[in-house]
Amino acid sequence: MRAVCWHDKLDVRVESVPEPRILNPRDAIVRVTATAICGSDLHLYGGFVPGMVKGDILGHEFMGEVVELGAGVRNLAVGDRVVVPFPIACGNCFFCQKAMFSLCENSNPNADMAEKLWGYSPCGIYGYSHLLGGYAGGQAEYARVPYADVGPIKVPEALPDEQVLFLSDILPTGYMAAENCGIQPGDTIAVWGCGPVGLLAIACAQLLGAARVIAIDRFAERLRLAATRLGADTVDYSEESVLEALKELTGGRGPDACIDAVGMEAHAHHSFAYAYDRMKQAMMLESDRPVALREAIMACRSGGTISVAGVYGGLIDKFPAGALMNRSLTIRTGQTHVQRYMRQLLTRIEKGEIDPSFIISHRMKLEQAPAAYRMFRDKQDDCVKVVLTP
Amino acid sequence: MQRKRNLMRSDRLGYVVGGMALIVWALRRPSVARAGAGAVGGWLLYQAYTGSNPIFRPLGIRVNPQPAVPDVAETIVIEEAITISRPRLEVYAFWRRPEHLPAITEGEIDITRTTEGEQLAWRAMRGAHMLHFGALEFRDAPGARGTIVAARLEYQPAGGSLGEALARVSGRSPQRLLADNLRRARAILETGEAPTTSGQPTGRR
Repeated sequence: MRAVCWHDKLDVRVESVPEPRILNPRDAIVRVTATAICGSDLHLYGGFVPGMVKGDILGHEFMGEVVELGAGVRNLAVGDRVVVPFPIACGNCFFCQKAMFSLCENSNPNADMAEKLWGYSPCGIYGYSHLLGGYAGGQAEYARVPYADVGPIKVPEALPDEQVLFLSDILPTGYMAAENCGIQPGDTIAVWGCGPVGLLAIACAQLLGAARVIAIDRFAERLRLAATRLGADTVDYSEESVLEALKELTGGRGPDACIDAVGMEAHAHHSFAYAYDRMKQAMMLESDRPVALREAIMACRSGGTISVAGVYGGLIDKFPAGALMNRSLTIRTGQTHVQRYMRQLLTRIEKGEIDPSFIISHRMKLEQAPAAYRMFRDKQDDCVKVVLTP
Repeated sequence: MQRKRNLMRSDRLGYVVGGMALIVWALRRPSVARAGAGAVGGWLLYQAYTGSNPIFRPLGIRVNPQPAVPDVAETIVIEEAITISRPRLEVYAFWRRPEHLPAITEGEIDITRTTEGEQLAWRAMRGAHMLHFGALEFRDAPGARGTIVAARLEYQPAGGSLGEALARVSGRSPQRLLADNLRRARAILETGEAPTTSGQPTGRR
């Protein structure tokens, strides 16, 4: 089959590899009908995530048709159309039982690597480095799905792939980011980053009752989507100081909650802090660039919440602990517990309350993945979200 | 047992010889560089005296100078614990099978002590030579969260504490094998299978 393989920093290739097979009784094999490139895949593409090995198959947002089932999977049948959640979770362990699926204790066969870096290991993730299990991903014609009796959700034929594909990651991620804000009536929410997760977080914050959402980015197309599609106020950080703009927009108090939908490769415009972080990252003195996170902490109103949906991998520098402590701020974060949200969000899609397909800017063939990665990384051609079909 | 000790007798002997050699070399023709070497020699002697090397400490290396087994001078000790969301007797029954015990060596495994549902001890021998010995203790996790398994393993590493330190850094140590054994057991007991990726496709050639 054809699959998108990581070879090196900025080097992904579409190659012919063997087809996956059932390795455990609870596995399924899915024939992929649609897959997407995630903003977090760009961290792998840019070489910022440790534990990638030449030849690893990428992709953790995918859906398709069940073509083979292990003996232990009874709730699915060959031919079912399913969306696969990106966290690989067993459903049996302490964390799965508490619906914290992305913290599954049993799904990462390389847990010791993650423990060295992070203290304890979270769940395995498709195509997301050997630190998180080294599982082959879904940017391929077929994918192996472990614990298929727990993760994949059947979707109605009436809904096209594009409307349900994002149940695999970014729609639940945007939703959890908004839910973590603990939104109260009248709240103003600021969202750093208007990529796919940021845009969906804006939409979900509105669903959950935010009175106002302020979107922060520098790309005109993304700010346009936030403003015209979602009715958010916008701040272009290349034009104005975010802290000052937010202060002014919120009557001098700051947003009630801030969502970081940027993560470890944050960008800032002509700022000394940004140059400092780039330099430290290049010298391997700091693994992540927390420009957006720092700004979100400084901007948040006292007693407010910072919800971190952007991915971080290692260590950050110059963390504003003083603001966090003295102003009673709360940080909530985590890889999304996708399995917890899929069913309720599918219902919302069916009812027409949300249609996440508005973020798709490019539809391409799997064979064009290298060009798609480059375009997405460089934000060429107003690229917001790429969906690939085999 | 002194928690701070992380050097074995063989290491300490080496430190004494090495430390003395550096000091003698430094005194024979004093210079700034040699004074530094002499200081390092003094540091090695000090470590040999205390039985503790600060560089090994973060690796969690611990030496037991008085193992509870006859004819074994001293051992490296590893302790790991895991919580498994299954009833205690079921967890005990899993490890009651010798092939499920953490095999860090290839010798013959004898189960030396069993207390149904509570304790299991074993040793691995090659002929008359002790390779390692260990014990598992089972107790109910508080709040009905299943079973806590506490594992303790003692052995004499090839190459003393230095060899052990290198093994830990390279990720091939008995500690890793023990931790993997516990995790794998938890996965099998809780999910019915062990997570794996071996046999999956890659673009590696």
